[in-house]
Amino acid sequence: MRLYVDNAKCSGCNACRVACSLNLFGENNPKKAALVIEPQFPAPGVYNVKVCTQCGDCAAVCPTEAIKQDEQGAYYVNFDECNLCEACVPECKEEVMFVRSELANTAWKCNLCGDCVAVCGTGALWIAETEAVAA
Amino acid sequence: MNGYGGKILRVNLTDGTVTKEPTPPDVARDFIGGRGFGIYFLLKEVPRGADPLGPENKLIISSGPISGMLIPGGGKCDWTTKAPLTGGYASASMGGHFTAEMRYAGLDSIILEGLSPKPVYLFIDNDKVELRDASDLWGKNTFAVEKQFKERLGEEFQVAVIGPGGENLVPYACINHDYGRQAGRGGVGAVMGSKKVKAIVVHGTKSIPVADKDSYRKAGMAIYKACKDAEGLKDWTRYGTTIVVSWCDEVGALPTRNFSAGSFEDGKNLYGPVMREKIVITDKACFGCPCPCGKYSRNKKYNNYVEGPEYETIGLMGSNLGIDDIEAVAQANLLCDDLGVDTISTGNAIGWAMECYEKGIFTKKDTDGLDLKFGNVEATFAVIEKIARREGLGALLAEGVKHASQKIGKGSEKFAIHVKGMEQSAYATHNATAMLLAYMTCDVGAHHNRSWAITYDLQVGRDKVVPEKVARVIWLQNFRPMFDVLGGCRLQWVELGIDRDLYVPALEAITGIHRSWEDLDKVGERIWNMTRLFWARENEGFGRAWDMPSPRFYEEAPKSGATKGQITKLEDVNKLLDMYYEQRGWTLDGLPTPETIESLGLKAVVA
Amino acid sequence: MPAKLRFGASLRILLGGKDELTVEPGRSVRATLASLDIKPELVAMVSVNGEMQTKDYVIQEGDTVRLMAVVGGG
Repeated sequence: MRLYVDNAKCSGCNACRVACSLNLFGENNPKKAALVIEPQFPAPGVYNVKVCTQCGDCAAVCPTEAIKQDEQGAYYVNFDECNLCEACVPECKEEVMFVRSELANTAWKCNLCGDCVAVCGTGALWIAETEAVAA
Repeated sequence: MNGYGGKILRVNLTDGTVTKEPTPPDVARDFIGGRGFGIYFLLKEVPRGADPLGPENKLIISSGPISGMLIPGGGKCDWTTKAPLTGGYASASMGGHFTAEMRYAGLDSIILEGLSPKPVYLFIDNDKVELRDASDLWGKNTFAVEKQFKERLGEEFQVAVIGPGGENLVPYACINHDYGRQAGRGGVGAVMGSKKVKAIVVHGTKSIPVADKDSYRKAGMAIYKACKDAEGLKDWTRYGTTIVVSWCDEVGALPTRNFSAGSFEDGKNLYGPVMREKIVITDKACFGCPCPCGKYSRNKKYNNYVEGPEYETIGLMGSNLGIDDIEAVAQANLLCDDLGVDTISTGNAIGWAMECYEKGIFTKKDTDGLDLKFGNVEATFAVIEKIARREGLGALLAEGVKHASQKIGKGSEKFAIHVKGMEQSAYATHNATAMLLAYMTCDVGAHHNRSWAITYDLQVGRDKVVPEKVARVIWLQNFRPMFDVLGGCRLQWVELGIDRDLYVPALEAITGIHRSWEDLDKVGERIWNMTRLFWARENEGFGRAWDMPSPRFYEEAPKSGATKGQITKLEDVNKLLDMYYEQRGWTLDGLPTPETIESLGLKAVVA
Repeated sequence: MPAKLRFGASLRILLGGKDELTVEPGRSVRATLASLDIKPELVAMVSVNGEMQTKDYVIQEGDTVRLMAVVGGG
């Protein structure tokens, strides 16, 4: 199971990112979200969305084993065990493994909670076993 | 304070100082935010008789408690000032991502005061606030400036910028943001230009505190679910506001050739599906919106990109100018945005000039040699540029249709389509008495944002002048602008029909204060009366005459279209006002009575 | 096979709560509305199987016709 995105359907509203920060940190702060929207304006006029593929590369390099896998297969950060070493960050090809110590005392990433999908009005995001199950 | 950034940022441009003060809890309690904060600070701080473009006027930029939150549509920013266009109250609502970013920087309002001696931009990055030199940006168009900031500072910064229109103090200059969202009406861009503030850039990484996290999340999610379950979501998202072009054409509400009719014989070339197929490439949303009305377009004919056009611009730059080419309308839209002038007022000004030309009031000597007939696309583009630069004919049109027509005379005042000096937005109001009243009494001039009642006219009977219609207009005037107070958008309620009661628990969970819609409508009524008192304070002899619509709607029936041969009688116009004033608790001259002032707790405001 | 008319929330209010009706195909949207005593002009948008159509569209078998009004306004 992982999160998928159809860039063509994204309207850049950022509701997903507020929902994400609320779930991860209990805060209203899209800067602390685990997915990224890159607006490409004025040309070519599209949004590029970066989401976690749950590949596990971050967990593989974590020296404190703070990144764990839950029963549905999602990798999540146990905040208490993270030492902010940033080893995970360059491993992430999608650039959605975050350490911003000015914002949080831990690394963070997508834990596949699904709140982003719940608030996306355009069907740009979905969770599935394979990409073909697009909404 | 729960639900708030917590600070008001005050920027004194005369001496270049910036200060922060805590957002007063009693003001937050009584006026909530957005347009409520705007009128509160305007009445309190701008002295009577201030020159709109002088040092005493202020530009008050406010978010609200749902801005930047997990609430659909929390992306609206209010810009309040004394309007250069009308000399009265202006509050322009801007979508996009600016208002959310203000809140993440901890700001509820930004108040610009004084006048800067040289071009500057306001830089805000969390607690770092600076006025920086903008000499190299002055004179540039809005898109180039926004792009420059985004490249230099990163995509997380949000940018609001004026174009040459604002720099040249065109009284209907707008403020541009997010490549296509505007604070459009009343000349807020000219006020920013008078203060020599080219742009405001803001970035914040703070969290907005809420009173009850779990209830807030639940309530916010419930509104998202209601939007996603709404029957109209897919169609609305596909077409945005252009969904109504065909219907307005059908019922005679589509302004055609300077509002001389309400149906356009070539209107079908401007309908939503035509535009979607021809130019739209991306649905572009304001902050947190699950039903994006923004349609981003690739205009192949003119080789560029533009957000829109949306309904208002299609009406005023399309049918109102006799133009039936959606790509030409999109290009006019882009020119206005890039030069920083409001498409609604600009479309009116050009429509008025075209009618002057066709009636022989203007000759080519007056139009800088342009063959300014209805339908002339190239001339339209040329005039937009002239207006923003105040050159030739543009210098006259830049005054707005009220002042331009007073200057020219020869009966042209009769077809200057405005109320209180603000040009009418894109609903023709021939024989649509509730909508006509909504325009007549709107608190910024002829704008549709406060109250919109055309379907109600059709339902009850277009020509009926009955107390129910007046009550409907008043209810909408109190209620709809509350979204501008909350820092959010009304379209989820308007277009998807979601239950407005869903906002009640959300607002309570955010601010910790329970307010029913009955309470909120009351706040709306207070604000409405405050804006009226501001008009009266600033304008000697303000009263009933200021609420009169363009004579076009009571003297001249359309010669074609759905409303052919239909007008509202002058006595009915007056009857509408009589009933309206009575229901509002105002005098027959349209001023709040002492009892009304007292009952709304506004005595201190008048003193 | 009959066709379905579905009403958006705003139109539901105007029609006193109905959200769906089954209708016979073969007539235009305009004529169908008139036969149901709904003023056609109150309907701002007609969408047939996801594409916007005019009220002159002739309803076909199996169509889902979504109808919207604009009550709160622009």
